Amino acid sequence: MIPPFLHINGLRKTYGPVVATEHVELSIKEGEFMTFLGPSGSGKSTTLYILAGFQDPDTGDIRLRGRSILGVPSHKRNIGMVFQRYTLFPHLSVGENVAFPLRVRRLPQAEITRKVRRALELVRLGGFEERKPASLSGGQQQRVALARALVYDPPVLLMDEPLSALDKKLREEIQYEIRRIHRETGVTILYVTHDQEEALRLSDRIAIFNAGRIEQVGTGAELYTSPATHFVADFIGDSSFLDGTIAAVEGRCADLRLGDGTLARRIPLHAPGRPGQRAELMLRPERIELSPDPGPDGASLPVLVQDVTFLGNITDVVALTAWNAPVTVRLGFMHPLSGRLTRGDRLWIRWAAETVHAFPRD
Amino acid sequence: MLLDFGKLGILKWVLITLCILVALFLILPILFIVALSFGDSRWLIFPPPGWTLDWYRDLFADPRWFEAAWTSARIALSVTVLSVVLGLLASIALVRGRFRGRELLRAIFLMPMILPVVILAVALYILFLRLGLDGSFAGFVIAHLVIALPFSIIAITNALEGFDPAIEQAAILCGASPWEARWRVTFPAISHGLFAAAIFSFLASWDEVVLAIFMASPMLQTLPVKVYTTLRQDLTPVIAAASTLLVGLTLVLMILANRLGRRRSA
Repeated sequence: MIPPFLHINGLRKTYGPVVATEHVELSIKEGEFMTFLGPSGSGKSTTLYILAGFQDPDTGDIRLRGRSILGVPSHKRNIGMVFQRYTLFPHLSVGENVAFPLRVRRLPQAEITRKVRRALELVRLGGFEERKPASLSGGQQQRVALARALVYDPPVLLMDEPLSALDKKLREEIQYEIRRIHRETGVTILYVTHDQEEALRLSDRIAIFNAGRIEQVGTGAELYTSPATHFVADFIGDSSFLDGTIAAVEGRCADLRLGDGTLARRIPLHAPGRPGQRAELMLRPERIELSPDPGPDGASLPVLVQDVTFLGNITDVVALTAWNAPVTVRLGFMHPLSGRLTRGDRLWIRWAAETVHAFPRD
Repeated sequence: MLLDFGKLGILKWVLITLCILVALFLILPILFIVALSFGDSRWLIFPPPGWTLDWYRDLFADPRWFEAAWTSARIALSVTVLSVVLGLLASIALVRGRFRGRELLRAIFLMPMILPVVILAVALYILFLRLGLDGSFAGFVIAHLVIALPFSIIAITNALEGFDPAIEQAAILCGASPWEARWRVTFPAISHGLFAAAIFSFLASWDEVVLAIFMASPMLQTLPVKVYTTLRQDLTPVIAAASTLLVGLTLVLMILANRLGRRRSA
C-alpha cells in the first residue's frame, strides 16, 4: 500500500497541565489544499507549529511520503511557511528576501536570479526586486513572503492566518491569488484560519478543530450538509438551535417535542438517541422557509419577527418562537417577503425534514 | 492639541528663554575650554588676549600625551568589542529567555549604572590587587567593561525587543540553521542597536576617569588620567588643547550615533 503523502498520527501536545492538541489524526493528499479551521486556542496553530518543527509533540508522529519528519530540525525540513505577522527581513530588499532560501542552499547566482524573478511574477510583484519591505503595503508584504516560501519548491506550504492583519476587501483579493497560486504550482497547502468563509473559499478539505481535537474532516459541502457534531454544525453556517425532547425514535430519525409542544417529525438524528433524551434541532438560516401560512403538520412553527437586517443581496430575519428561542432566517433579495417585514409580524417557519438535523445531548 | 506650542502666548517665550539658558549653561564651559586652547595666555585668561596654536604644538611634541591617547584608544576599542559581544549574548538571554530570576538578572546587569563609581573603583582595585591585575591592560579593560556593559545591554535589548522572533523562525524555515539565521537576519536587523552599543561603550571607557585613576600605573595611563595628573602638577593651556580634542572626538561619535538612529527611523 502506498503511504499517504502527509500523515499526522495521534499527535498530542501539552503545556504543563494544559492540553493543546490531542488525538490529531489526519491524512493529506499531494497537492491538496487543507485548512485547519477552529476558534483560537483550538490547537490548529499548535499542530502547524509542530509540522514546522518549532514545537515537539509529546506523542504521535508526522510522516511525509512515509518518513517521519519529527527528528529533522526545522531548517532541514524543506517546508515553506507564511506567518500571521509580517516576517520579511527588514534589512534586505524584496529580491534578496526571496533569494534568501536559495542563497542558504548555495545555488549559483544565475539560477537564483531566474527563480527569484519567476517567484515574484507568480505573486504578481515582478519588478519589485529593489524595493525595501518597509515601503510595501501589508498585502504586498504577505505576497513577497509567499514568494519567499515557494521559491525553493517545498513539498508542503504552511500558512498561519496569513491574511488576518489585512482588511476584508484586500483579504478576498489575496484569497483569490492564493487559489490561483495553488492551482499553478500544485503545492500541498496546510492553511490555518478561524474565518469559516475563508476556509470555504480556499480549501479542498477542511479539518474543524475544537478544544485540541479534530471534530470533523471533509469538503465544505460535506461539513455544511452533514455536520458530524453540534460544534461543526454551529461553526459552519450560522445555524439556530432549538431545544427539544426526543418523543420517538424510528431508525435513524426521531420525532422531537419542542418547547411549545409542537412535534417536529422524522428529523435525522446525528447520534443514537432514545425517547426522553434531550436533543437540539438545528435549523440552517437559508434552508428554512418564512411564510404567512403554516406548513404541513410536524414541519413548521409559529414565530414573531424580532429583528430585520438588510444586508444587500440577502436579508437576515431574527424571529422568536412561542417560548422565546431565537431563529435566524435568511431571505434572498427576490424573496416575496423581502423588504416587507417589520418587527412584530406573526409568521410561520417551515422546513423540509431532510434539511434539518437533531443532535442528542449527552 | 491641548499644549499646542503656537497657542501658548507669553509662556512660549518663557520656555524659549529657559531652553536657551539651559543650553548655554551646558555648552559654555566647553566653548570656554576650546577658546582657551587657542588663547596665547599661559594663565588661561578669558577672553584670550591673542590667538596661538602653541599649545597644540606642545601637545603633539610631548610623546607622553600621544602615548596616553593610544592607551585610551586601545582600551576603549577592546572594551567596545567585548561589551558588544557580551551585551549581545546577555540581551538574547534577557529578551528571548524564559527562566526564573530573569528580571533580577536584568537588574544586576544594570547595577553598575546606579552604583557610585568610586565604590566600584575601590572594590575593583582591592580585587585586582589580589589577582595581580592592578595597573595592567587587562585590569583596565575589565574595569571599564563593568561600566560599559549596562549601556550596551540597554541598547541591544531595546533593539532586540523591537525585532519579531517570527522573522528569525521564517529564516530557519527558509533553510538557515539557527545560528546562520541569527547571523544573517537577526543581527543585521538590529545593527542600529549594536552600533549604538559600540559607540556608548567606547565613550564610557574613553572619557572615564575615576576607575582609570585607580587602575593607572606610571607605565599605563589613559588620556583623562593624564589630563587629571597634569592639571594637579601645573595648570597649562595644553590641557585645554587635549580636552578640546577629546570633546571633538566625542562629538563626532555622538553625531554618528545620532545619524544611525535617524536613518533607522526614516
